Amino acid sequence: MATLKVSDLTKNFGKTQVLKQINLDVSDGEFIVLLGPSGCGKSTLLNMIAGLESVDEGEILIDEYVVNRVEPKDRNIAMVFQSYALYPAMTVRDNVTFGLKQRKVSKEKIEQSLKHFSKMLQIDQLLERKPAQLSGGQRQRVAMGRALVREPQIFLFDEPLSNLDAKLRIEMRHEINKLHEQLGTTMIYVTHDQVEAMSLATRIAVMNEGIIQQIGTPQEIYDKPNSVFVADFIGSPAINLIHGTYSKNGAEACFIPDLQKDDFKIPLSDYAFESEPKDGQQIIFGFRPEHINLPDVSLKSSMKVELKPTLIELTGYEKEVSFEFFGNEVTGRLPRHIEAELAKPISLNLDLSEISIFDSASTLRL
Amino acid sequence: MQVADPKQLEALERSASRKRTLYRWLLFLVLGLFAIYYLAPLYVMIVTSLKSMDEIREGNLMTLPGEIMLDAWKTAWSGRGYAAGDVFLRPFFWNSLKMVVPAVAISTFFGALNGYALTKWRFKGDNILFLLFLFGCFIPYQAILLPMARTLGILGLSNSISGLVLVHTVYGLSFTTMFFRNYYISIPDEMIKAARIDGAGFFKIFFKVLLPISAPIIVVTVIWQFTGIWNDFLFGSSFSFGEAAPIQVALNNMVLTSTSVKEYNVDMAAAFIAGIPTLLVYVLAGKYFIRGLTAGSVKG
Repeated sequence: MATLKVSDLTKNFGKTQVLKQINLDVSDGEFIVLLGPSGCGKSTLLNMIAGLESVDEGEILIDEYVVNRVEPKDRNIAMVFQSYALYPAMTVRDNVTFGLKQRKVSKEKIEQSLKHFSKMLQIDQLLERKPAQLSGGQRQRVAMGRALVREPQIFLFDEPLSNLDAKLRIEMRHEINKLHEQLGTTMIYVTHDQVEAMSLATRIAVMNEGIIQQIGTPQEIYDKPNSVFVADFIGSPAINLIHGTYSKNGAEACFIPDLQKDDFKIPLSDYAFESEPKDGQQIIFGFRPEHINLPDVSLKSSMKVELKPTLIELTGYEKEVSFEFFGNEVTGRLPRHIEAELAKPISLNLDLSEISIFDSASTLRL
Repeated sequence: MQVADPKQLEALERSASRKRTLYRWLLFLVLGLFAIYYLAPLYVMIVTSLKSMDEIREGNLMTLPGEIMLDAWKTAWSGRGYAAGDVFLRPFFWNSLKMVVPAVAISTFFGALNGYALTKWRFKGDNILFLLFLFGCFIPYQAILLPMARTLGILGLSNSISGLVLVHTVYGLSFTTMFFRNYYISIPDEMIKAARIDGAGFFKIFFKVLLPISAPIIVVTVIWQFTGIWNDFLFGSSFSFGEAAPIQVALNNMVLTSTSVKEYNVDMAAAFIAGIPTLLVYVLAGKYFIRGLTAGSVKG
């Protein structure tokens, strides 16, 4: 059980600054996911929290203590790596208990923890095997076991599921989720997979180019992305972004797409601006694929649109349909029974209750 | 092409299989010729060493001995039938063994330690240091004979087995470090990170985690070092003489300083004895040698 605080953390590799004044506050028992594209600094941040990378500037506090100069083994953390990082020459038993032996834990205690956690992870039948004799999923479990037996204050995960196949990944994701429920230990989890992030996190920190772009609950991140980057990074298929102009005439505010015809505009009267743009300002209008609906769905704030499908893909339980939209291509998620034909316009409803508006210049949410 | 006709098809198949057989035999022939070419000197050595001098003078190089005589081997090994003061190999064989075992062990161990430090505990300038090690691989040994002789003199190790152990260890380190460095660089750093978090220190990680998975590269290094040190003549002849000489020097003395007639059978037997240990090492560990050479390229 522990809190973690990172303040103004900076890291340079040679001349490149990979982390720029990172601030992060993690309360006890939270599951924080660091999410971002490769090279955004998320793994470096995790390694620094673990003590495997030195701190250039700033502080890392675990339970209010500055641990900048504390060795990894003394931080009371455990880490699970993407490559599992099992010791190839040792049996599963030795792999799992290696850390405890280094800490001179009594034999009975070691045996007891081993029994408990190997049963929990269903690796109790594999204890005498070497890592080379295990499947990917089993190796992953052993790696988890090695972290668990130590009963650390904070768990660190560095893309632990990236090497597993799709089915196993979902299975292990569920187990990690259950584990967090059971243990209630603080966990920091690095991934580039948004689905993992959404499903595991109590809060997600979206990182890009060495800074945390946004931190919030999965719901907040998905519904109210604070920048074009976050909006675009989260969600699959990606959010539809359309460039245009903000127009305000008295009380009537609306969005005019750049290449519109026939005076087409989208009313924005119901949108709650954090800071309202000026009349004529360039803005980006964002809406998620699920916000294009069939007309019969009753919505409190919506508008009718006629769109021509340019591509229809059946994903199983629904259809992903691309439409031509004033020179842009937008994607909608429609029910599978919909009768759509290429180049034949269908009338649809655009849900305006959960749209996002960004400033074109700063790409920040308005 | 139309091959609907079964007769035609049969003819095609037959010609294809004939062609395959022909190429197969051609391959065997060429490979066999190369093998004979390489093994011929060895054959001559063995055959000659088993003949008596009379037989050597009468026959030619390739004829088999009429009667297998081990006298030449006995003479070469223990000086049987020799006058006092003549050189025979036995004491020098032990000299070489006393030199090669510690030199190989020490240089391999420190090579492993260096390779580990250079890849898993990166520090500023580690690449430059490694380049310097590589540079050591290219130093011509003739260039350092004089300074090394002086160094050994100052250390009081001139003309001793320990002196040779030191020289071979120092000059072997470049190679052993390179071998281990290239092997360890392919081992994921995460394994070391995991061990550090588990609470293991520098040496614990080395002995418990890395060394147990280093067998392939240890075999390569040991073979390389053993062959190099056992077969070395330059250092042996420069830094030792008389009783402290290794076997290659003794072999040279034996062959060149015989006072009477050249005893080819004894010379051949002696040369063979001097080569046995390296042959043995290859036969015993050759399989691992090839495996180790290619091990670096695939991630374990």
